Amino acid sequence: MSYPLDRRGFLRASGATAAAAGLGAGAAMTSCSSDTSGPVTLEWWDYFTLDNFQPGMNRLIKDIEAGVPAVRIERRTFPFAELERQITLGAISGDLPDLAIVDNVAMNTLGSSRLLADLTARVKKWGQADQYYKGPWEGCQVGGKTLGIPNNSNCLALYCNTRMLKSAGVEPPTTWDELASAAQKLTSGDRYGLALSAINTEEGVFQFLPFLWQAGGDLDTFSTYGATALTFLDELIAKGSLSEQCVGWTQQDVNTRFLNQRAAMQINGPWQIPTLKKAAFDWNVVALPRDKEAATCLGGENWVVMANSKHVDKAWEVLEYTQRPSVLVPYLVAFGELPARKDLADRGSWASDPALRLFLSQLPLARPRQYGPHYTEASQAIAEAEQAVLTGSASPSAAARTAAVKIDKALSAQ
Amino acid sequence: MNQPSARRRRTGYLFCLPGMAFLALFLAYPLLYNVWTSVHDVDLGQLLGGAERFNGLDNYRTVADDPAFWHSVRLSLVFTLGSLLLQFTIGFALALLFARPFPFNGLLRSLLLVAWLLPPVVSGTLFRWMLDAESGAYNALFQAVGLSGLSHDWLTDPSTSMAGVVFANVWVGVPFNMLLLLVGLHTIDPELHEAAAIDGASAGQRFRHITLPLMRPVSVTVLLLGLLYTFKVFDLVFVMTGGGPVDATRVLSLYVYEVFFSFFRFGQGAAAGLLLLVVPLLAGVWYVRRLRREDEAPAGGAV
Repeated sequence: MSYPLDRRGFLRASGATAAAAGLGAGAAMTSCSSDTSGPVTLEWWDYFTLDNFQPGMNRLIKDIEAGVPAVRIERRTFPFAELERQITLGAISGDLPDLAIVDNVAMNTLGSSRLLADLTARVKKWGQADQYYKGPWEGCQVGGKTLGIPNNSNCLALYCNTRMLKSAGVEPPTTWDELASAAQKLTSGDRYGLALSAINTEEGVFQFLPFLWQAGGDLDTFSTYGATALTFLDELIAKGSLSEQCVGWTQQDVNTRFLNQRAAMQINGPWQIPTLKKAAFDWNVVALPRDKEAATCLGGENWVVMANSKHVDKAWEVLEYTQRPSVLVPYLVAFGELPARKDLADRGSWASDPALRLFLSQLPLARPRQYGPHYTEASQAIAEAEQAVLTGSASPSAAARTAAVKIDKALSAQ
Repeated sequence: MNQPSARRRRTGYLFCLPGMAFLALFLAYPLLYNVWTSVHDVDLGQLLGGAERFNGLDNYRTVADDPAFWHSVRLSLVFTLGSLLLQFTIGFALALLFARPFPFNGLLRSLLLVAWLLPPVVSGTLFRWMLDAESGAYNALFQAVGLSGLSHDWLTDPSTSMAGVVFANVWVGVPFNMLLLLVGLHTIDPELHEAAAIDGASAGQRFRHITLPLMRPVSVTVLLLGLLYTFKVFDLVFVMTGGGPVDATRVLSLYVYEVFFSFFRFGQGAAAGLLLLVVPLLAGVWYVRRLRREDEAPAGGAV
């Protein structure tokens, strides 16, 4: 692999030492995995900044340092929205970690960037690929290569306020029709039947995609099935069962509505369970209602190793170690997350907790958002279409058609 | 003493050196690098591999062909002009009020300044909450005083979200405008007003013919500073609406940010970013030239 000199020359001439270091790291890419004896320090980045994650993370690191020979972990955390950007900037400045835990949707951009180490051969030798649920595992495959392994998984389901449903004489909905009629019956006063996030970020798209898939479509058939899904949501708003305000709500905001009992049902993920356990009312979780098919969206994080790391073998050794049940189960329990591995289904808190159990049962259905390097542009088009429809500034079919053009362009671009 | 010796001059340059180095490193270098990026095809993979390809003006063409770019330019202009007009007018009115003595004048003035001292992220978050349709303070207030017709989903309705962010920005900008204009008002010699009053000029005439003309230089400075701040605004809008709903508040800075950090199209981001620089640059050049003209104007010339 050879690099043209123009950029190098430009940067050197300008005397930016940081940028020059970046080139050094770039050059080192080709000659990775030169592990030497003696303790190796691995730099590790993640975005688990909240206090309640720290005990579990510290324990995991201690565990790794005790269990993997001659390894030290140096951890740095970033806010959720910052991590991917930091990795990108790190590509320029040469300041990159050896290991990182990234959002599974980041595999779209990072996967095509040459930033991630190819783990295919190591994974093949390891031979545990078939232990993972299909969605999480496929989310780590980019262009026929394994560029990561799942860290934890989650997906979306429907939370119901048990008392409200009972007093309205409503059964938890299993189909779109039932969802619409339940949401309508549960709407009264300042209480909405259903709450979901339709914010104009990936968060809103994460919540919208299940509707698209349930309608039987996907990104490449957005003008048809996107319109179906948008029409369904639009009607919920027209009937007053869903607040128009949802175009500004994050999933956290949605959970707050549900907690304040201003929404009888909400679409959300398992990470809300710890908060909801403190709620003063009873609730339960059911699978997302189906239309033509049942579907939910895969969330969670993946482990990745940076291609420019000098210690790819050691980093892989660490990843392998974290996948042992004795390490993985306590880690996931401490985080309140679900395993991406089928062989752990009957262990840990998710084996006994009915809510976690429901989410785990949905994982086999959960689809990764694996659409290639320009997915973010498609995602923005989807968010805009949804917002345009829900705020009444476009009809579902017109919005779906406009979005479909942008989506096709984003997915076909290389 | 008239001609500094060569040695003195050299010493002078030496003192300038740290400042020059600072500017070169933190202003000139990033700017040049940005220009370089804007004429190359740069995405994430190419950035790492050092395989950026020179593509001339392609990035500029792509940006110019993107309707979303022009939409964001229009939004930036609406946001800037709306904010400037309102915060200047309100700031001027408040400055006139605070220019006269009354009890608690100083205290009230310092309280108003708090608004300006808050980081935009904080004021943005506050306004996001206050303008919330269901639990926001404004709608509750409107309902409490019997004006429930005014309560509205300000930030989640595409037709009013721009008004919402302009409102917040005006709130942030008014104290700064007021403060500078107040200083300007204090520089006007009260004897001018007294003399005009004796000659029979009404308050309105004195304002139009004495205060306004004498306030011109300060006003221009205030408006220019406001323009520089407002045109590049990012944090306030990002926190309040994230550019939405749909794209109703995606001003130019948010567009640039998206192209860079969501789409990782660095070349196009750099091109659009340079265009973001054009408006403040033009305004700055105009201002500097205007200052020079004023300096060169003969003493005793037109006021």
